[in-house]
Amino acid sequence: MKFLCVPCNTPMKLIETRPPDRGSISLVYSCPECAYEFAMLTNPYETQIVGSLGVKVGPQQGASPETQGQGQAQAGESKCPFGSMVQAMTGEQSAPAPTPAAPGAVPWTAAAEQRLETVPEFVRPMARTGIERFAAEKGYERVDERVLDEAREFFGM
Amino acid sequence: MKSYHDIAGDGGSDVAGQVAAQRARIERRLSGVRHLLAVGSGKGGVGKSTITVQLASALRARGLRVGVLDADLNGPAQARLGGVAGAPLVPGPDGLTPPRTRSGIAVVSLGALFPEPVAVDFDSVAHGESHTWRATREFSALAELLAAVEWGELDFLLVDLPPGAERTQQYAEFLGRSTAFVLVTVPSDLARGVVTRSVSALGKTPNRLLGYVENMSGYHCRDCGEVKPLFPSSGAVDLGVPRLGSVPFDPDLAERCDRGAPGAGPPAGPSATALGAIVERILETLVERPTPETTR
Repeated sequence: MKFLCVPCNTPMKLIETRPPDRGSISLVYSCPECAYEFAMLTNPYETQIVGSLGVKVGPQQGASPETQGQGQAQAGESKCPFGSMVQAMTGEQSAPAPTPAAPGAVPWTAAAEQRLETVPEFVRPMARTGIERFAAEKGYERVDERVLDEAREFFGM
Repeated sequence: MKSYHDIAGDGGSDVAGQVAAQRARIERRLSGVRHLLAVGSGKGGVGKSTITVQLASALRARGLRVGVLDADLNGPAQARLGGVAGAPLVPGPDGLTPPRTRSGIAVVSLGALFPEPVAVDFDSVAHGESHTWRATREFSALAELLAAVEWGELDFLLVDLPPGAERTQQYAEFLGRSTAFVLVTVPSDLARGVVTRSVSALGKTPNRLLGYVENMSGYHCRDCGEVKPLFPSSGAVDLGVPRLGSVPFDPDLAERCDRGAPGAGPPAGPSATALGAIVERILETLVERPTPETTR
C-alpha cells in the first residue's frame, strides 16, 4: 500500500508507528514536500493479515534523522509470523508459546543465546527446552556453543 | 496524478521487500537440494504421511541423501513416523540442524517440537476470525522454517502436504515450479474422485505431476500371504496421470511406522516390493538419477 499527497503529487513517507491499541496500529505518514501528516489506523483484521505475512511494519532503517528512533522496535528485527509482530505492536503475550524457562534451568552463554536467535520465534521455547534437557542429561552446567555443537552431532549430524 | 506503479518503494514499510527477502533466504537454503518432491493427495486419510516416510526410507536405502519436511502444521506426523519426536531443532553457526532418523533422514516437523496432544495455535488480535488469516499465517510459518533450516546437500527433499485440492495448488506455488508432485489415493471411487480435483488444480501450475500412488490397494495377510481387497472400486474414476504403483496395506509396516521405526528400508513383502518399484519409477521419471551417497 502506498500513499500519495495529491496536491504535491509526491509519495508520502512512513515516519512513525504509534503504540498499539487493542489490535489496531497507527502508522503516521508525512509528505516530504509540504510536511502534511496523516495517520492510517488499522482495524484488527488488517493488523492480523499483515502480521500473518511474517513482516514488521515500521520506518525503514534509512529513514530521515528526524524520524529515526521512532517505531524502530518494529523495524529491522527478526520476522516471526506468529507472535513477534503482533506482540511487538500490541504488547500481548504470544499464545502457543513461549514456555518460560523452568526454575533451575541450565543457563545459556551470550554466544549460545545468539545462536538461538536463528530459531524461528514460535518454536524457540521448545528448542530451548530440548537443548537444556540434553545439557542436563549430559551433566553440563550451562549451554554454550560447544554444547550446541554436541547436540547438533547427537540429534542431527 | 501518479499511479501506484509510478511510485518506487512502498513509502517506508517495506512489506513487499521483507517478503522478497524471505523468499531469497528460502532459495539459498534449498540451493543444495537436487529434487523437491511433494507428496499430496487432496483427500485426507489416504496415507500421504506414511507413503512419504516409506518413499524417503526407500530412497535412503539406495544411498541417497534425503530430507522430509512436514508441511502439515496442524496434523504433523513425520516426527513420530521418523522417531524424532522430542528432538529439538539445534541452532548451528548457519541455521538450524534438523534431527535425523536412525537411517539418516533429516526431518523437520512441528510434531517434534509440539508434543501430542498440543495443537498448534496462533496468537491473534483479530479474535474469533482465524478463518480470514490462518492460511496466510501457516504459509508464513512454513516459510520461516524453510528459511531457517540448514538442509545442506540433499538428493531429495520430500514434502508431506496437508489435505485439500486447492491447497495442493497453493503449495505448488509456494514451493516453486521445480517441485515435482506425487499424489496418493486409496482405491475407492470416493477418494479417487477427490484426487482428480488435485490433478486438475495442479494442472493450473507449471509443476510436474509424476503420477499417483494407490495406497492400501489391498490387505496383505501375513498368514496366507495373499493380498485381499480393502475398498470397493468400480475403476470408473480415471485420474488421467500415470499410476506409479499400488501399495497393499501391511499391518507390520503400519506398526513400524507407529513406533517411528520405518528403518533403513521397508520390510520385506509386497508393500516393500511395491515401494521399491515406485521409487525406481520416480527416479526414472526424474530422468537424472541422483548420485548415491552413504556417508551421512
